[in-house]
Amino acid sequence: MALNPDKVGTTYPTYTYEVSREKIRDYADALGETDPRYFSEGDDCVAPPTFAASFTIVKGGQAAFADPDLGTHPTLVHGAQRYVFGDRPMRPGDVLNCTPRIADISTRGSNEFMVTEVACVFADSGEPAVRSEATIVFLGSAPAAADAKPATQEGAA
Amino acid sequence: MSESSSPQPAVEVGTELPSIEQVSNLTTSVMYAGASGDFNPLHYDQGFAGQVSPTGGIIAHGMFSMGLASRVLTAFAGGPERVLEVQVRFTRPWPLGTTSTFGGKVTAIEDGVATVALTGTNESGDRILKGTGRIRL
Repeated sequence: MALNPDKVGTTYPTYTYEVSREKIRDYADALGETDPRYFSEGDDCVAPPTFAASFTIVKGGQAAFADPDLGTHPTLVHGAQRYVFGDRPMRPGDVLNCTPRIADISTRGSNEFMVTEVACVFADSGEPAVRSEATIVFLGSAPAAADAKPATQEGAA
Repeated sequence: MSESSSPQPAVEVGTELPSIEQVSNLTTSVMYAGASGDFNPLHYDQGFAGQVSPTGGIIAHGMFSMGLASRVLTAFAGGPERVLEVQVRFTRPWPLGTTSTFGGKVTAIEDGVATVALTGTNESGDRILKGTGRIRL
């Protein structure tokens, strides 16, 4: 089954994520972080940049993967990831409004590449907090797979 | 402690960031799964991984490796408020039980913003991750 290229540009419903001190600490612990601000009980607590993964990867992809017209399938790898940050870091108590969008669908060899963007803004000010661009590689499902030369598998995780 | 520390003095093109080594194992994988909410069993269940993994075994989350590369970048920058952007490509799987090294090198400086090439390298010297970060100096 191939991805539906007509879905490029589709946005999915905005979801809300509330940043909490405990999740920041869990995330920092999992990465062996040492910056004391990630573990602070005070007002100086901030989140590491890629803390954004905890609300953009699984939650950000959920709606797209549930869309029956998009044509996703489970034989996939995470090929690439980009985060662009706003002017202030995420802190405990921040509420973020996150809107997923299919930014691109392309084919290389027998594989399909889908870029899912999630734009997250601070709910109180509307300022950008972080924009996520996840490139998911769907293996072997490109329409011309039978004729195409197999692509180098770029994605790995 | 309430303000970010300054980045290292005398940052120039070619400056190497202090690198970190990290082993991946079941503990790191389960901690990352819990912290990130990504419970794909590929990252902790050998029965499942044996059927779908590119290596036939459990591999670390790609985002775990990106998090470590970003940790190198952010520590060098002096805090998350100085990190403008980070992007990576996952070029090889990272099997559990192996150690990877994450580092970076400044490749350009313009208008007070440094561009850093980020790498994750396995025990054989192969890249598991390649990327770019941009930090405000």
